Amino acid sequence: MTSSPSPTSRHTKKQLISGWGRTQFVSSNLVEVGRSNELDQITSIFSDSATRFAIPRGLGRSYGDAAQVAGGTVIVQPDDIDSSTIDENGVLKVSGGTSLDAIMKKYVPNGYFVPVTPGTRFVTIGGAIAADIHGKNHHISGSFVDHVNTMQLAAPSGNFNLSATENADIFWATAGGMGLTGVITMASLNMLPIETAYINMETRRAKDFDELLSVMAGSDADFRYSVAWIDCIAKGASMGRGVLTRGDHASLDQLGPKQKIDPLKYRPNSRLVAPPWFPPHILNSMSVRAFNEAWFLKAPQLRQDQIVPLTSYFHPLDGIQGWNRMYGRNGFLQYQFLVPDGEEEALRKILEKISKAKVASFLAVLKRFGKANSGLLSFPAPGWTLALDIPVGASSLSDLLDELDKDVLEANGKLYLAKESRASCDTIKQMYPKLKEFSRIKEITDPNGIIVSDLSRRLCLT
Amino acid sequence: MFDAMHTPDNVLIVGGSSEIGVEIAKALAKRGSTKFVLAGRSFETMQRAANEISSANPAGATSVSVIYFDVLAENAVSELITSTTAELSTIDMTIFAIGTLGDQAQLETDLKAAQEILEANFSKLAPAIQGIANVMVTQGFGHIVVLSSVAGVRVRRSNYFYGSAKAGLDGFAMALNDAVIKEGVNVTVVRPGFVRTKMTAHLPAAPLSTTAAAVAKATLAATDKQRNSVYVPTAIGVVVNIYRLLPRFIARKVPF
Ligand SMILES: Cc1cc2nc3c(=O)[nH]c(=O)nc-3n(C[C@H](O)[C@H](O)[C@H](O)COP(=O)(O)OP(=O)(O)OC[C@H]3O[C@@H](n4cnc5c(N)ncnc54)[C@H](O)[C@@H]3O)c2cc1C
Ligand SMILES: NC(=O)c1ccc[n+]([C@@H]2O[C@H](COP(=O)([O-])OP(=O)(O)OC[C@H]3O[C@@H](n4cnc5c(N)ncnc54)[C@H](OP(=O)(O)O)[C@@H]3O)[C@@H](O)[C@H]2O)c1
Repeated sequence: MTSSPSPTSRHTKKQLISGWGRTQFVSSNLVEVGRSNELDQITSIFSDSATRFAIPRGLGRSYGDAAQVAGGTVIVQPDDIDSSTIDENGVLKVSGGTSLDAIMKKYVPNGYFVPVTPGTRFVTIGGAIAADIHGKNHHISGSFVDHVNTMQLAAPSGNFNLSATENADIFWATAGGMGLTGVITMASLNMLPIETAYINMETRRAKDFDELLSVMAGSDADFRYSVAWIDCIAKGASMGRGVLTRGDHASLDQLGPKQKIDPLKYRPNSRLVAPPWFPPHILNSMSVRAFNEAWFLKAPQLRQDQIVPLTSYFHPLDGIQGWNRMYGRNGFLQYQFLVPDGEEEALRKILEKISKAKVASFLAVLKRFGKANSGLLSFPAPGWTLALDIPVGASSLSDLLDELDKDVLEANGKLYLAKESRASCDTIKQMYPKLKEFSRIKEITDPNGIIVSDLSRRLCLT
Repeated sequence: MFDAMHTPDNVLIVGGSSEIGVEIAKALAKRGSTKFVLAGRSFETMQRAANEISSANPAGATSVSVIYFDVLAENAVSELITSTTAELSTIDMTIFAIGTLGDQAQLETDLKAAQEILEANFSKLAPAIQGIANVMVTQGFGHIVVLSSVAGVRVRRSNYFYGSAKAGLDGFAMALNDAVIKEGVNVTVVRPGFVRTKMTAHLPAAPLSTTAAAVAKATLAATDKQRNSVYVPTAIGVVVNIYRLLPRFIARKVPF
């Protein structure tokens, strides 16, 4: 197919957009580039004198302002699963705008799972690489880019082929680089062979912080996947109590007779829709307490060999469409930080402050990280990461989080840029010492500084 | 830029010597806003305010610059925009705190002075607000705060030049909000009752009087939620809206 890549043929609309947390709405020019002439169109956006700034956007699942630039051009790529190919070694070639959702729908029935999945399947390949996302298997398998062999990057200074051997410096700046080096148009990655579309899961309750950490440190290595849900409201002796869910892909012989009929049958469902009127006060600390209490008590002391569908283990929230609107008009944020191994006391101190502060949170997720990679701005590093959703509104919130930032810094930890929406330039500069190196490489791909996001402006990233 | 709590990085105060404006700036500095521009006529007062604003930031990471601005002067608006954009990479929030009461009795005979009251409070101020709104529309985001007054809700005999100018300003700002909201720009109209500041120093306190600090607090509570308008204190809103509905022959007899 041929269609001329003149700027007028681009599909542009001015729109108010925000991140998943719905906290910072801005007006941008959204440009949906076409399937057939994607590269030409991206090049023409970068060279168009009317483009003040530009930034790629995937499915907007980053929480804050990473995938937007107020007053600039936001580049959106098509979900192009049909052009993807997989070879006999399970190497998938796929375009940057393709979602993990589409990849799983197409390849799970063929016996392949994505090497790393976040808590939602509605993220793109571009977003997964740009945030170098981690999953419940980080302690074993590392982060997303650890499974990426090659990428193609469309940048203002030209198009680049990237791998660990070709343009390696740009490869590792793009991994975790939050879209600031250019637009990832293609990637090849290693998929994970699976026998079934099920997880063999173990559920274990831990009565307090010490027990939870010691179980995770002690036996996470035995499970490909591991994550803990923490009750952030429980105080005193049960502070840090939680429920661990760990597991691995179920093998064929572990399935029940019904499941065996079609072992790779994959049925992600998104039937429930959050009502638009869902009153935000429902998410106050009273109801969260009740919810957490019920959740904790419902969990078994120990239950093994439960066979559950992939979706219910990895993406339970995807079943409730638009749940991010439930937090009401002020939106919500996610505070996700990591502290290195050996800083468990810092983690305890932070958790104590969170539970005292009564900032209601349904979801506090604790995860143990394995090895870091060479991504200059990649988040994961050996240690512990805690993520909690907090509704915006309490006047004390800003001060609390500023204080936690200091604790995290003191423990040599850091915040996750894909979730960031409120830290200071100085804090981030200290947490990401390779920012200077990053800026140097960004100058190669974007010498005139066209690629800018609200996140990069707010946090002085470039 | 704004953070998730709707705290701006960069703030412009138009009427940089206004007590209410400076209180809002201090409250923002305390929360973490880092760059301020004070635009006004009285350098000495603004210098003092700049120091207060800087020391309000706990991390001491605040910079405040001062620029000359007289809303009545020729080319005032374009110069304001030029010098502000030179100082601030983005104008995240602008507080319009200019206001002048005038002496009602004098204005009724000194028509040139009367015209200036209307200009400073409304007819020359509105284009300045529009100019900043245009900058914000181009940058794709921003928040404008306009200090209106309960005096504009129902214009009274005792200060009808000031009151009618505020009524015009208030209507202008509310409709401006409708015009720019889809462009990512918010407008919040603040309507204080009697506030003890240098503007009212010569007047006896009215009922439900409040302080500049209280106005600042209520203003930020409203901008946080991106509210269109707020009365300070809340009760004064109830009072003036009852007063507004009174038949004129009764309203005329209310002694204020
Ligand atoms: C419910 C939920 C659960 C989550 N769980 C996890 C988790 O477990 N682990 C984890 O790591 N993250 C998690 N996330 C965060 C999410 O994985 C990341 O924010 C991811 O980057 C979102 O991808 P996206 O396609 O929506 O990208 P967007 O949010 O649209 O963009 C994110 C960044 O990627 C850049 N980008 C997008 N496309 C491209 C491209 N083609 N080329 C270059 N840059 C690009 C953008 O500029 C931006 O900086 C979760 C988010 C949600 C909402
Ligand atoms: N105080 C109250 O009771 C009250 C009640 C309701 C509403 N308000 C409104 O709140 C706002 C702030 O008032 P305030 O109480 O803080 O009083 P203020 O301290 O006297 O502030 C008024 C500001 O307006 C400025 N100004 C007046 N004419 C100007 C001009 N031609 N060009 C530039 N600046 C000019 C003044 O500058 P100079 O210092 O150079 O004169 C001063 O900075 C005003 O809009 C006022 O109408 C006040």
